[in-house]
Amino acid sequence: MLNVSNLMVFFENALALNDFSMEVKEGQIVGIVGSNSAGKTTLMNTLSGLIIDMRIKEKRRGGERITVYGKVVFNGEDITETKPNDRVKKGIVLCRERHPIFPESDVLENLKIAGYLKKASRVREMIDYVFNLFPALIDLKSKKAGFLSGGEQQMLAVGMALVARPTLLLLDEPLLGLSPMMQNLLVEAVKGLRNNSGITVLLSEQFARPVLPMIDYGYVLENGMLMLTGTGQELMDNPEIKAAYFGV
Amino acid sequence: MLLGTLVYGFINSCILALVALGFNLTFGISGVANFAYGAIYIFSGFLTWILLNSLGLPYLLSVLISILCASCVGLAMYYLIIIRVKGLALSEVMATFGLGLAIMELFRYFDFVGFRYNLPVFFDGSVAIGDVYIDYQRLIIVLIAVGLTLWLYLFTHHTKIGLAFRAIAQDERTALTFGIDSDRIGALSMAFGAGLAAIAAIVILPLGTIAVEGGYEVLINALAVCIVGGLGSTVGILVASVLIGYAQTFTANYLEPHWMMLVSLIAIAVVLVVKPSGLFSHQKELEERI
Repeated sequence: MLNVSNLMVFFENALALNDFSMEVKEGQIVGIVGSNSAGKTTLMNTLSGLIIDMRIKEKRRGGERITVYGKVVFNGEDITETKPNDRVKKGIVLCRERHPIFPESDVLENLKIAGYLKKASRVREMIDYVFNLFPALIDLKSKKAGFLSGGEQQMLAVGMALVARPTLLLLDEPLLGLSPMMQNLLVEAVKGLRNNSGITVLLSEQFARPVLPMIDYGYVLENGMLMLTGTGQELMDNPEIKAAYFGV
Repeated sequence: MLLGTLVYGFINSCILALVALGFNLTFGISGVANFAYGAIYIFSGFLTWILLNSLGLPYLLSVLISILCASCVGLAMYYLIIIRVKGLALSEVMATFGLGLAIMELFRYFDFVGFRYNLPVFFDGSVAIGDVYIDYQRLIIVLIAVGLTLWLYLFTHHTKIGLAFRAIAQDERTALTFGIDSDRIGALSMAFGAGLAAIAAIVILPLGTIAVEGGYEVLINALAVCIVGGLGSTVGILVASVLIGYAQTFTANYLEPHWMMLVSLIAIAVVLVVKPSGLFSHQKELEERI
């Protein structure tokens, strides 16, 4: 479904991703694990096309700050230079890190905005689906999103990404800042997405413990470079991972 | 005298709100302070006059063409100029202010000066409230100001493009992840802002003559209302329009009419010293910005 080959991203002279290659097969949950500054968000922004948008806007102002090399292929089509809105049309939807919601709009309006490219009837269907997935949002639908708790905002953010009807859902650090209970709820919801809706999920996370058991395949990034790959179980059994992420 | 001041203060408030709506809409969504706003206002007035008097088109058709042309000017401004400097506040101000100056001074250069440049009122006649007479044109201004404010609210809350406006205004990068094209929405916000400037010009200008200086006045009034209310805050804009509108009318009636413009300038200076982000800047964080 998604093939990334020899991806390199520079911010001026700083190398954020170095010769990174990966594959995501349809129906999988794939994890990108790495500590801070590993390059996880740069990868997610590159796959969603946000980096292309940032580069275009920088270039218009006369700057040449961002450089991207390599190739991103989605369902057989080279999308390396495709803009983010066209990637959403193709089914790639990113849920950014740190609760990407519209704080001054209420919950229902946030969900409606997320369905910008979809027909009104499909948006209504998906909003019902999101309320089934996260029933806690039903009572909050008239509340401004900026006043929700971190966990509620993350539920809303994932719900918004679902309203956009992704075939490949990119989740950038979805567990960041959540309580263990809320982390479990979100992990179960992501598993449910793959099992019940067939949505392929690529998630990045620095917390390996809750993520590795749920993924089909994982990539470990450090300082923009690929360090390890393997199934979730293989990574959990790896002594380096145990030492670095589980403190064993 | 007092009833007249109250009634005309309200009408003046509506005029200020009408003038500031487009400026505020563009800023609230694309973050661009369009300093060519006054020039677009005057451009729409002169264009309507030319279509009506030089080309002999019907008034309604002239009005519609002017609004459409002003919107196209806004659209072209975005794609030809703003897109290259977006995010660089000083460059945005210089580019829009420079363009505004060029448009207005071109009209002066081509001798669009004098009392013959005026637009006809929509309807002749007046009504009386007590012993205060109000002409129909001023009533139309009030109706259009109230109607446009309501329409803007409904548009931005209940249409797909309106919701995209609100999304871009709040978080452009998150909006991009849902397929909202920030350039398209930015260009539309400029077009809508320019269209609103044209509507304001076409309903307000029949009260006087079309003059290049009017463009500068409109820009100062729009800036005063937006600075006092808090740039981007619709509630702030409405309250600031009432405050400045009544202050101007009381000044004109009880002091000197030519001091009216001083009210706007003093309001800008005082608010910039006391609360530079505007009176409703805190509320703006909590309430809708559009």
